[in-house]
Amino acid sequence: MVLGGENTLSGSAPTANGHVKESNGFIPHSNGHVPQYKDDKIKKMSQESFEPVPLLVACLTYLGYGMLVLFGYFRDFLRKSGVETTHSTIERKKMKDFVPLYQSFESFYTRNLYTRIRDCWNRPICSVPSAEFDVSERVSDDGNWHLRLTGKSRRCVNLGSYNYLGFAENKGPCADAAAEALQQYGAGVCSTRQELGNYRIHEELEETTARFLGVEDAVTFGMGFATNSMNIPALMGGKGCLILSDELNHASLVLGARLCSTVIKVFKHNDIEDVERKLREAIINGQPRTHRAWRKILIIVEGIYSMEGSIIKLPDFIRLKKKYGAYLYLDEAHSVGALGETGRGVTEYWGVDPRDVDIMMGTFTKSFGAAGGYIAGSKRLINHLRAYSHSTTYACSMSAPVAQQVISSMKIIMGEDGTNRGQLRIKQLAANSKYFRQRLVEMGFIVYGNDDSPIVPVLLYMPAKIAAFSRELYQQNVGVVVVGFPATPLVESRARFCLSAAHTREMLDKVLDAISDVGDRLQLKYSLNSPVKAVSAEECYSQVDSLAHKA
Amino acid sequence: MGDGGTTYSGVNPNAVWLNSRGIWLSYVIAVTILHLVLLSIPFLNVAQAWTLTNVVHNIGNYIFLHMLKGTPWETNWDQGKSRLLTHWEQIDFGEQFTTTRKFLFLAPVILFILASFYTKYDPLHFIINLSTMLLVLIPKLPQLHGVRIFGINKY
Repeated sequence: MVLGGENTLSGSAPTANGHVKESNGFIPHSNGHVPQYKDDKIKKMSQESFEPVPLLVACLTYLGYGMLVLFGYFRDFLRKSGVETTHSTIERKKMKDFVPLYQSFESFYTRNLYTRIRDCWNRPICSVPSAEFDVSERVSDDGNWHLRLTGKSRRCVNLGSYNYLGFAENKGPCADAAAEALQQYGAGVCSTRQELGNYRIHEELEETTARFLGVEDAVTFGMGFATNSMNIPALMGGKGCLILSDELNHASLVLGARLCSTVIKVFKHNDIEDVERKLREAIINGQPRTHRAWRKILIIVEGIYSMEGSIIKLPDFIRLKKKYGAYLYLDEAHSVGALGETGRGVTEYWGVDPRDVDIMMGTFTKSFGAAGGYIAGSKRLINHLRAYSHSTTYACSMSAPVAQQVISSMKIIMGEDGTNRGQLRIKQLAANSKYFRQRLVEMGFIVYGNDDSPIVPVLLYMPAKIAAFSRELYQQNVGVVVVGFPATPLVESRARFCLSAAHTREMLDKVLDAISDVGDRLQLKYSLNSPVKAVSAEECYSQVDSLAHKA
Repeated sequence: MGDGGTTYSGVNPNAVWLNSRGIWLSYVIAVTILHLVLLSIPFLNVAQAWTLTNVVHNIGNYIFLHMLKGTPWETNWDQGKSRLLTHWEQIDFGEQFTTTRKFLFLAPVILFILASFYTKYDPLHFIINLSTMLLVLIPKLPQLHGVRIFGINKY
């Protein structure tokens, strides 16, 4: 809408100075109006669903936690009075007149809730985490305080590893190339990038990454977490900067933001209006006491949020950043390789120019089967980071076989190895994600997130069901990751499935049957929405089948 | 759940879990269940049951909101700032007059009104109900945010 161009209250056109007759003078216009998207973008934006918790389920969840807390207090009383043996750390008798080292209230949750179901986490794995893996069995004689291995292991379907394109393999061209690099360069690097740790293979990796993403240059680091926490301080050092960070950002981004001396404002998850409001407030008011203008404003967001499965609305953020002159930092840890027609990430998914995102960050851990992270952008930015990043100055660089693994997997994805295996993997992942999510929604589970994301969180809500779900599926040879409070909000405990291109449709069918059976027994099919008209399995896998025939 | 103590983005869960969906309804249901249990005890008459409900609710409220300090999980991100704060002071990160605080302020008042009605305004019951209500309402006043009288419960 143009100011003064239209008035929807009355029908008359405005006069030369903008005044419209027969109206109260109010000409509605919106400053941050939503531009007209092409149809597929609108469709993409309406694909996310976060069904709110049914009220009865919420009340029962609180009741569950209440009972656990009451029993926790009871057990603590028994432990204090000596009836029950205390397995956790206690103060030494000699030090009883000193200020206590441990506050036993702070470990209440760990002692009374987490330890009871501790066997669902930290399960030792004794094979490569591809589509199937071996999980060691453990038993406990004292209520999970001490777990011991039985020596046996179970072969389970792997739905917990971040293995989106299936590159977690110990055989095949990537593994062979990595073994060759190991022979040539050895396992360690023994120096930092700025000293003697800059190998030719690192430069090749950076060239390949920049080409893969479609930007000018890239710099890589040995650890994905450290890529965020060590480089945001290098970019936002100095006074007078502002960081706007999504409320569900990963711990590495939060730590990186806290390590700078900037003001940090948190906005609601994926909420463009909130970002715009906070941006406007910040720019209008300036810095806190002095009201001077901010030196720079950085908006930190992620491509796919791993706990929710939601995809960022990138075109909106780019429009905002251009309008207000802020910078955009995009953490594509979970979306690079997993989204887009050719796996280039969330920029390709939305069809925006990767050069519009000022700082693109990602990790090699998830889709490339390696370790480490990268930051990509303009040459000026990367040259600055090469000189000023804490990681390049003080941390050892990436190990050579790991770098080679990334290079070979990227070349496969880009199709530079001469086959269409990369494209096949991408299509397989997309088909798997769509099919799996759809089947779960049909069964009646509450599933969060975007239809296109390879992360499928299924809501469990009640604390006991977290453990029951994990253990039951383990008995049926499916390995899943479950998360509860306080890592998630109190009511929203969930099981998070990570799909992979290595999963075949038969594997997923078997897994879905197991999940449906467990869901029936545990009464997890909470969804109140009427069943959606789903795309058939044949349609989901049609592209995969046609590509597979061509290969 | 990790080690049982980590959250995303380092937000103190104690500050926000009372805003979750359905928590107020659950609170009301819990008090109702408590009252029904007390009513079923054969030797208590209606007035005593109501006063007992009021007293038990207020004592529980005081203990969990104003006596226990800190969090039942580790707070690695805020360097121990929330260890000295009671749950009431942690709600909504210390912001006053939020809807959760208003709800928790109103709950003892409503119970007091109901208890006074059902005890037919008997003087002894009135004194008991009033004193427990004041015990639980005075710490909720914004002027007493962070105040520790006579150093009780300071560390």
